[in-house]
Amino acid sequence: MIKKGKGQEEIIGFALIIIIVAVILLVILGLSIRGKGKEAVQSYEVGSFVQTALQYTSDCYDGIEYLPVQKLIFECENENTCDDGRNTCDVLNFTLRDIAEKSWQVSEETPVKGYKIRVVTEEREVLLIEQGNQTNDYKSAMQSFSRQGIDYDISFSVYY
Amino acid sequence: MVNKIKNRKFSQYNFFSKNRKGQMRIQQMSFMLMAVTLFFVLVGIFVLVMRFSGLKDTAKTLEEENAMLLVSKLANSPEFSCENAFGALSNCIDADKVMALASREEYQEFFGVAKIEIRKIYPDNGNIACNEENYETCGLIKVLERNVKTLPSSSTFVSLCRKEIHENLIYDKCEMAKLIVTGEDKT
Repeated sequence: MIKKGKGQEEIIGFALIIIIVAVILLVILGLSIRGKGKEAVQSYEVGSFVQTALQYTSDCYDGIEYLPVQKLIFECENENTCDDGRNTCDVLNFTLRDIAEKSWQVSEETPVKGYKIRVVTEEREVLLIEQGNQTNDYKSAMQSFSRQGIDYDISFSVYY
Repeated sequence: MVNKIKNRKFSQYNFFSKNRKGQMRIQQMSFMLMAVTLFFVLVGIFVLVMRFSGLKDTAKTLEEENAMLLVSKLANSPEFSCENAFGALSNCIDADKVMALASREEYQEFFGVAKIEIRKIYPDNGNIACNEENYETCGLIKVLERNVKTLPSSSTFVSLCRKEIHENLIYDKCEMAKLIVTGEDKT
């Protein structure tokens, strides 16, 4: 009688363990599959930002046209001024800083933790804009162009 | 005689004892079978749930990917793109074309998405809705909006370009904007 009771207890225990393990497996797998969300920053967003920022028409008039940001970089390198006397490097700095600030909301609460814009030629750094924190997760885009034999690179990184 | 009776009683007791053991083994077996069946039923349910949720997720992911691809495709489609009106620009949207498109009902079903809007990022003009009178100073162009179940939006940066006149000078004015496309949830 004691043996029979023991045997039954063992079987019930075994069944219970199987049920509990199965339920735990279900929960863990379910959670892990549902946990995969969309990334905070997409690569194509970063790439398109660089491209469109270069195409933005600034308020710097050079006597012929209102300069887009890409041409502002060339003028800044040549140390030229706008028609109204402003330094092209100042206009470039202000415009790019403002564009980035309006495009990427940086704070501890938002997905984007920081960004960095760097414009360089082969010889020098034309512009560096840094905002927020630089984390290990980031997306970058770079665009190269040249004028009058000088190669320019603009790189943009978003940290999230 | 007494011995005979004793032997019979003993064999009867032995028979009942064996019978009980057999019963218990059957009971053990049935419990075991129940547990194994229960386990496989649970595994089966789990597999089915995963399969169906996987299918739903795949459908949603595909819809989202389509929306993302559509964002790039739309920016370069003849209905939106600048072509060569402002030089060789990429990711460029013609503001005049978009304004003309926004007022047309025929395009509601054409793109197969729930919503298309263009939000000016720089200069930031807030949420002022664009119409033909104010589209130089407004902040949001609603190209298309359908009343259907929606997916999360996809967006990309675009140059929103138009021709401007300043002191008899016609020049290209490109602003920074975001093309936001919301896919239709067909699941």
